[in-house]
Amino acid sequence: MNPAIRTSGLGKRYGETVALDGLDLEIRPGEVYGYLGPNGAGKTTTIRLLLGLHRPSAGRAELFGVDAWGDPVRAHRNVAYVAGEPFLWPSLTAGETLELLSRLRASDDERSSASDIAYRERLVQRFELDVRKKVRALSKGNRQKVQLIAALATRAELLLLDEPTSGLDPLMEMVFRECVNEAKDRGQTVFLSSHILSEVEALCDRVGILRDGRLIEQGTLAELRHLSAQTVEVTFAGQAPAPPPLPGITVVATAPNTLRFQVPGELTPLIDALQGHHVLTLRSREPSLEEIFLHHYDGAHDRAGR
Amino acid sequence: MRILTVAFAYVFAIYSYIQPSGYRAAYPTRSDRLAFAHSFATNQGLRLLYGRPHDVSTVTGYAAWRVGGVLALAAALYGLLGAVRLTRGEEDSGRFELLLAGTVARRTLTFAALAAIATGTAILWVAELAGLIVAGLPLGGSAYLALATTSVVPVCAAIAAFAAQLAPTRRVALEFAGSTIAVLFLLRVLADTVDSLGWLRWATPLGWAEQLRPFAHPQPLVLLLPGAATALLVALGSRIADRRDIGTGVLPARDTAPPRPRLLHSATGLAVRGQQGVLIAWSGSVAVFAFILGTVAKSISPADISGSVHNEIEKLGSGSITNPTGYLAFVFLFLVFAVSVFACTQIGAARQEELDQRLETLLALPVGRGRWLAGRIALAVLAAAGLSLIAGPLAWAGASAGGAHISLARMIGAGANALPTAILFTGIAALAYAVAPRASSAITYTLLTVSFLWQLVGSLIAAPRWVLDLTPFAHVALVPTQPFRALAAGIMITIGVVSALAATRILKRRDLVGP
Ligand SMILES: Nc1ncnc2c1ncn2[C@@H]1O[C@H](COP(=O)(O)OP(=O)(O)OP(=O)(O)O)[C@@H](O)[C@H]1O
Ligand SMILES: [Mg+2]
Repeated sequence: MNPAIRTSGLGKRYGETVALDGLDLEIRPGEVYGYLGPNGAGKTTTIRLLLGLHRPSAGRAELFGVDAWGDPVRAHRNVAYVAGEPFLWPSLTAGETLELLSRLRASDDERSSASDIAYRERLVQRFELDVRKKVRALSKGNRQKVQLIAALATRAELLLLDEPTSGLDPLMEMVFRECVNEAKDRGQTVFLSSHILSEVEALCDRVGILRDGRLIEQGTLAELRHLSAQTVEVTFAGQAPAPPPLPGITVVATAPNTLRFQVPGELTPLIDALQGHHVLTLRSREPSLEEIFLHHYDGAHDRAGR
Repeated sequence: MRILTVAFAYVFAIYSYIQPSGYRAAYPTRSDRLAFAHSFATNQGLRLLYGRPHDVSTVTGYAAWRVGGVLALAAALYGLLGAVRLTRGEEDSGRFELLLAGTVARRTLTFAALAAIATGTAILWVAELAGLIVAGLPLGGSAYLALATTSVVPVCAAIAAFAAQLAPTRRVALEFAGSTIAVLFLLRVLADTVDSLGWLRWATPLGWAEQLRPFAHPQPLVLLLPGAATALLVALGSRIADRRDIGTGVLPARDTAPPRPRLLHSATGLAVRGQQGVLIAWSGSVAVFAFILGTVAKSISPADISGSVHNEIEKLGSGSITNPTGYLAFVFLFLVFAVSVFACTQIGAARQEELDQRLETLLALPVGRGRWLAGRIALAVLAAAGLSLIAGPLAWAGASAGGAHISLARMIGAGANALPTAILFTGIAALAYAVAPRASSAITYTLLTVSFLWQLVGSLIAAPRWVLDLTPFAHVALVPTQPFRALAAGIMITIGVVSALAATRILKRRDLVGP
């Protein structure tokens, strides 16, 4: 079976800017993939290339085995897209927009069935959208809901979501999460670009982190945790000893008798170094997602500052 | 706004230069000019377009009439477009298509907007003055004529700004302001063509521009009228804006509507829905103007015209305009131009979909780029065909009402004659859009305007044939005087279709662009 998304060596330059560089992704059908990265990392660029809206400068992208740039119409039959910002037709009402988007999706032989329409109605109720309002009179969050409902109501096998919850209030954010989980239960694939870590943590099977157009980390959340440093706090009887020099491990003194170590990988070097010292307690903690991401994002700032 | 100003300044400068120069070339002697004054200038049909002449037997008088009349209209258009763009408070650059959608920002005409309009007015004034002086007109009179013309800008800008305060959306604002200015133009037309209604000239800014009487008997005090009207409208507009801020919307937008899923089954259907208002407005305007032009077609009798003057008029490219058929053939050249402009605005509306990024929403669906553009092109051509077919019968009806007898079939042909040129320019506009989406509007409208002026000016100054032949408008037969030129039409259609096909292919090969 073809992967839902496959890119090989996918790259995009805009003049001087390298927005995306040598991206290799493979996302299985049914997977929920979180796509993270600081502003300007290239998330939106990736999605535009996946949709064939922009032309790759290098490599190629396939959706279910169909070339995204070469045959966009066929590629899009199985895809629903939610843009980071809702660009809709101001003079249509929300309801008309939903109707339009669903009709443009259905080919002539597969008109939306009664059950599709019923599901859409349910989504409209859950998202508390007033479908009689014209788009120009909707707030940004409400316009975002129009896009979301249109995408979630489809039976598209792949949902491409670019920061879909920007502008949604916390209540609606919860509804969104429920809907993504339902989509997952139906076997739909979800590609979720996001800044909201808790959202990614709650929804995604696998996460990729993008920085400066390069995929710098990828894996399940458990794997990412494993890769990142864990924090070890050691309390000594009496004054803490002078921190031992250990390659790759950083140390801070948090109290006169306490040292905090950031240890990437194995703990063995630290345990060895502690030998012969009078250790009272030793507490180790896995990194939170925030710490993982801040670690990677910070790198981006360093580079930008240079 | 900047591009808008530059484009208008360009038109002002060129037009105010070529008209007096052309006149000097076409009517070199005093007796020619006197004869011209007797015949040509009393033509009701021309009065309708250019306004009432005060003295056309001199270069200056002629300039005041021809330059002032047309440029005052252009000034009105500039004020309208500029003010709506400014009050809408959006930084979109040089889009003629701002006619086509969007919301009016609820904010008053700020100092910055006033300053921008004032600057724009000054620039147009300088442009017109420069054109006139280069054409050899005296400085003082030229400055005054340019002042008379540009006095229209602030008033019309104020009208548009006022409408923007009343109207809930930008489109409605443009419709309000546009129809107000159309009425003001009609008032001037009535004042200039019906003798007993001359007093109506005092009721419209376009009439005030005439009452200033550049080069004839200047009445500078009339300038108080546009000044006072502008001040009044700006003051009223600000008052309303303030009231709106505390929640008393003057004309609240209809923000909810029952669902009308009509036409929403395809991208082209969606386009038709988006353009409905524009299509109706254009059809209505073409119908009204064609009818009016028809009614005045019989206003000149051949006895008024001496042989030599007649020959000179023929140089204008219209054949004899002293009979209704010739006159209609002449004014229908303007229809050809207008229908082409219209077709280009349709391509411009398609381009706007891309610049506003709604096209991304569409193309992320299973909608092909080529088919989408082909649909928009087809819509442009069909609508242009509609306009072309409306014009002929309406002009015929007007002519019949005015007592002129022209065959209906020939007038239908005269209207249909606009279509090949429109197809040509639709194709060119689509190609420009596909290749250079950002620059394409400027390219298209410049090309169109230059082509048209090329024909008007070139024939007036009797340019060599091969120079004239460079513009498509030189190959448009003046139906119904001349027989339809099938070969030229066929070539234009072919070029248009080939360009359109190329456009759909090129569009498939590039990135979509943002705002
Ligand atoms: N059409 C374009 N023309 C020129 N440069 C572009 C274009 N689109 C994106 N870029 C540049 O490419 C880089 C990646 O942008 P992109 O929009 O993909 O980032 P992003 O990860 O989506 O950021 P954000 O989180 O802010 O949405 C940025 O440096 C951006 O300036
Ligand atoms: Mg983005």
